[in-house]
Amino acid sequence: MYRKQVRRRRAVLTLLVIGSFLLLTITYGQGSGGLQRGVSTIFSPLQSVADRALKPARDLAGWFDKTFEARGENSRLEEALADARRKAVAGQEALQENAQMRKLLALDSGPVLAESGYEPVTARVIARSPTVWHSAVTVDVGSGDGVRVDDPVISGDGLVGLVASAQGGSAQVTLITDHTSAVSAKILPAGVQGVIRPEVGDPEDLVLDFIDSSRDVGGGQAVVTSGWRAQGLASLFPPGLPVGEVTTASIVEQAASQQVHLRPYADLANLDLVQVLTGGPRR
Amino acid sequence: MIVTPRIFARLAAIALLAVLLQLSFFSRVELLGTSADILPIVVIALGLLGGSMSGAVAGFSIGLLVDCLLVAPLGGSSLVLLGAGYLAGLFRERFEIHSALLPPLLCMGLTLSAELGFAAVQLMLGVEAPISTLVVRDMLLKSIFAFFLAWPIYFGLRRFLRPALVEESKVSRRRQPTVLGT
Repeated sequence: MYRKQVRRRRAVLTLLVIGSFLLLTITYGQGSGGLQRGVSTIFSPLQSVADRALKPARDLAGWFDKTFEARGENSRLEEALADARRKAVAGQEALQENAQMRKLLALDSGPVLAESGYEPVTARVIARSPTVWHSAVTVDVGSGDGVRVDDPVISGDGLVGLVASAQGGSAQVTLITDHTSAVSAKILPAGVQGVIRPEVGDPEDLVLDFIDSSRDVGGGQAVVTSGWRAQGLASLFPPGLPVGEVTTASIVEQAASQQVHLRPYADLANLDLVQVLTGGPRR
Repeated sequence: MIVTPRIFARLAAIALLAVLLQLSFFSRVELLGTSADILPIVVIALGLLGGSMSGAVAGFSIGLLVDCLLVAPLGGSSLVLLGAGYLAGLFRERFEIHSALLPPLLCMGLTLSAELGFAAVQLMLGVEAPISTLVVRDMLLKSIFAFFLAWPIYFGLRRFLRPALVEESKVSRRRQPTVLGT
């Protein structure tokens, strides 16, 4: 009797392990399957309810964490504020000059998004992946709201990620900190271009690779999406979306290039409201 | 564990609630730069309460549900969580749980193994980006959080599933007063 039980137990375990490997083999790299889309559609209303119900508890826990963090941030922010004041003065001058130039060139002075024809759809984050290995969130808008796969997603601070899959009322967004993410970007004001890759496990650090070592890159410089277009192909992101700020730049001797580290503007760990940029030009 | 339809419904409710809580709350609350992961804890607790079969099946189901909801490659989380649940159940079948400290300690150790398992699966599938050493800190912190979260989760689940637990039902039957002369 006992042996029979043990045999049955082993059989079930073997079946489950084989099942897992089979699922991995079948679904890896295939995008979202019908099963996943179906389950997401069924569960997205539940996730929305859970998200709203748990928001006060989340805010309370977040308040404790932020309080500890704020103490360390204070001195850094004071320095940043002084620097920002200096830049703001210079920025005012540049804005004035810019407006004059736009008038001269008869260009539309609208924002980046209006120029590129995107229509932002505001969404609430309702779920988040539990591991650092798969950096993704679920939002409460989907194909019913005009959201499509590969639509860029932004927050009030900057670029967040890309829609990986969309169902009727929800969509999964792969964050720029996911290991599969790659964003072509440029450093301002020089316009040096490179590809932003994440560093798995550190959401506060992104790496901008393939930067010519002769180019002068310094801390505090802004990084925005480059939005390239060539030979019928185009970047999934419109140009000019703020991504982050350069923290350090180090030269890679063997590759004659430099590796630039940047801190993303968007608080990717505490996303609440985001905007999905729908309806833009497609590849 | 004696799985009647009512207990099955309870187990399904536990799995659903755990996944919703994880995705909508725990994953979105940062403490010391990381977030707690209750899914391995729930699976390990179910393994410790119900044995290796219950642990493995719970792990597989919860992993599958999470992968479906996050549109991640199916099977990765299932594989890791079923291993954690099975090992917890195996421990319960071979050893007695004498101390109240043992379940949280086991949860901590097995959560660390599960995190290592997640990493192994991801590396097996291919990680295209560089890996920060902070991944190690994340794993260690997650297992420490597991130690503290295991207390309410393990003892809460034991209370919730009491009618299905073989030893608990034996104890409660033994404690019933005997009425002589009937």
